Amino acid sequence: MRITFKRGVHPNANKSLSQDFPIKEFPCPDTLYFSMSQHIGAPAKPAVNVGDRVLRGQLIGEASGFVSANVFSSVSGTVKAIVNNPTAIGGSAVHVVVENDRKYEEVTLEPIDVNDKEAIKKRIFEAGIVGMGGATFPTHVKFAPKEKIDVLLINAAECEPYITCDYRLMLEKPAEIFKGVEYMMTALGVEEAYIGIEDNKPRALEIMANMETDKIKVVPLKAKYPQGAEKQLIYAILRRTVPMGALPSAVGVIVDNLHTAYSIYEAVALNKPLYERVMTVSGRGAAGGNYLVKTGVRYQDIFDYSDVGEEIRKVISGGPMMGFSQANLLPSVCKGTSSLLFLKEEELNESEISQCINCSRCAKACPMHLMPMMIERVVNREAADELEKLNVMNCIECGCCSYSCPAKRPLVASIKKAKIMFKAEAAKKAAKGGNK
Amino acid sequence: MKNLQMSVSPHITARPTTRSIMIEVVIALLPAVIASVVFYGFYALFITLLSVGAAVFGEALYNMMRKRKQTIGDFSAVVTGVLLGLNLPVTVPFYVPIIGGFFATMVVKMLFGGIGRNFANPALTARIFLLLAWAGFMTSFVSPINWANGEAFKYFECALKGADGVAVVTSATRLSDDSVIVPVLDAFLGRTGGSLGETSALALLIGGIFLAIRKIIDWKIPVVFIATTAFFTLVFGKFQNGAELPLLLFSGGLMLGSIFMATDYSTSPNTFWGVMIYAFGCGFLTALIRSFGGYPEGVSFAIVLMNILTPLLDKFILPKPFGKQKKEKVKEAK
Repeated sequence: MRITFKRGVHPNANKSLSQDFPIKEFPCPDTLYFSMSQHIGAPAKPAVNVGDRVLRGQLIGEASGFVSANVFSSVSGTVKAIVNNPTAIGGSAVHVVVENDRKYEEVTLEPIDVNDKEAIKKRIFEAGIVGMGGATFPTHVKFAPKEKIDVLLINAAECEPYITCDYRLMLEKPAEIFKGVEYMMTALGVEEAYIGIEDNKPRALEIMANMETDKIKVVPLKAKYPQGAEKQLIYAILRRTVPMGALPSAVGVIVDNLHTAYSIYEAVALNKPLYERVMTVSGRGAAGGNYLVKTGVRYQDIFDYSDVGEEIRKVISGGPMMGFSQANLLPSVCKGTSSLLFLKEEELNESEISQCINCSRCAKACPMHLMPMMIERVVNREAADELEKLNVMNCIECGCCSYSCPAKRPLVASIKKAKIMFKAEAAKKAAKGGNK
Repeated sequence: MKNLQMSVSPHITARPTTRSIMIEVVIALLPAVIASVVFYGFYALFITLLSVGAAVFGEALYNMMRKRKQTIGDFSAVVTGVLLGLNLPVTVPFYVPIIGGFFATMVVKMLFGGIGRNFANPALTARIFLLLAWAGFMTSFVSPINWANGEAFKYFECALKGADGVAVVTSATRLSDDSVIVPVLDAFLGRTGGSLGETSALALLIGGIFLAIRKIIDWKIPVVFIATTAFFTLVFGKFQNGAELPLLLFSGGLMLGSIFMATDYSTSPNTFWGVMIYAFGCGFLTALIRSFGGYPEGVSFAIVLMNILTPLLDKFILPKPFGKQKKEKVKEAK
């Protein structure tokens, strides 16, 4: 029995487009745009003024509140402007624009005691570490759970098609990753950690398994999407079920992305704050590769470098299942940008939306065991009161339903709408209850 | 590069489309269509083509009249037409498949909103309609032709007047007529009287296994359906001896109905337990009608009755969401 969760889909992985390119430093452009919203939560406050000279590793955005994260400059140079700029997830955010002087003068954080639990936790906050799989939840918040934690899971499933940055990290930096995991275990006070890797990456599995210790185990997982979704990963490896609406800490587990572990290593051992990351450039519309990219590099710079063909239809930040399509190339690389995909029409396999044939493929694919076709019907009828029974808030928006739909219906879009309707209805009910 | 396309995730989709699924169903029906020609000659194919043409034209006409977008390209009307054709005896006059095809798509399917929204299987409902309208035509079954005697076009003689003057040999279901004993092998291959596509269990099984492997149909529906039918026919004491069991399974509309009709997406439930109850109900009702009912064949009625129950099954049986805890457990925890 291969270790996995129930349901899910098998999209074409397309990893071969980029998996064999070693990590290469991405050439740094002259101007960088640092978003103050590189994480979920409150945007960071700019900590510099126009005209200031900054160094690489210098704090330029300060966390504003608990659920927020520090932002650092990835180059040395001069702050040219502080402007609003589009972000990859839609909308816009304050960006600090830095003119690169190409001297790469650097400041680092103070060295800390790597055996000191509190010092590591503090370092995770200081260095601006966030979840680097794409959700960008500030890691220091995750590391302050109310419940008792006994297991740390490292998500190296990399179940999204195309993306190979975690794969390359495992091949090239396994020792650093294990060190990072050790620091995380110290910070959490846990004695057990598992690194889950999909079995379509045999080389990574072999290299990582060779480094296994008594406390840090490597687990081969069945290659199936969304194997890396945290609730599915916890179920697959530990057979624990996170209750609906609860966080993994409810069952004593913290899940972090592999790249996060690597960045924690850099922050703790090298005193380097998070300002660059490994990301994948892929898709049949461009020359693929895995690059060490500085945050603040604009998508336009990556486009210019990647020999992008004329016939691309979509540019996607993140994976094709959960990533965001881009209207322009103005956004910049953030801490959570795992990939930038240039997709041609043939890869999208689009066809016209037609009527639901009630085939239940969406329900059979849903890893949260929901009924997407029913949710869509309720949304179209605007019957908000029926949404509770369908448990819409349990949806993780993984995209399995839309992916599997033969009528090509945008089910995820409907469910997103359903969530908004459900929240509005709940607020309405609460208001009524209050009046009584 | 100028026009970047925007959309909500996911940005890729799986290969199957409604059209590709329907085409695969048509492919799965081909062995049965071929078998119908082998056993009844070219008039069988003619009936199926008329029924397909009428079904497709009916849907096209409805869309034109309502000024809706044309939907015949999804091939579902072709599936309906083939299924209806296979449900008819070879002796029906030419206008029966035409009226049936029209009725199936225009009335049963399009009036209720088109694909995915019909309350019952269009082909089956049309069959029942035809059965009620032309009981005589619809229950006259004849022997297979003899190709060696040059009978390939034999049943074209029924095109205008139906089964009049043709030797009617058997009714659909072995159980309702004790005077005819059909060898099991003949029933399995289809060398017996019956509707065009119902007779050859072998041809239907080939199509069914293909669809099950391609995950187009839920294999649980035919398996539970057929098993339940066998079990309850046994319980109702209608067997004379155990050797009749295969005959029961291979004769009548059980194979065609359970594999191709009961598995219709629109009219079968969406959950595991919904499917179980549905398939069980189909089998139970089939056994009941076959054993005690006045009609020779119970499969159509059983499926349509369960089709009508399907919205209720889907309303009350929902899957347990991942992570949802039982109410008692939550209370205990408190």
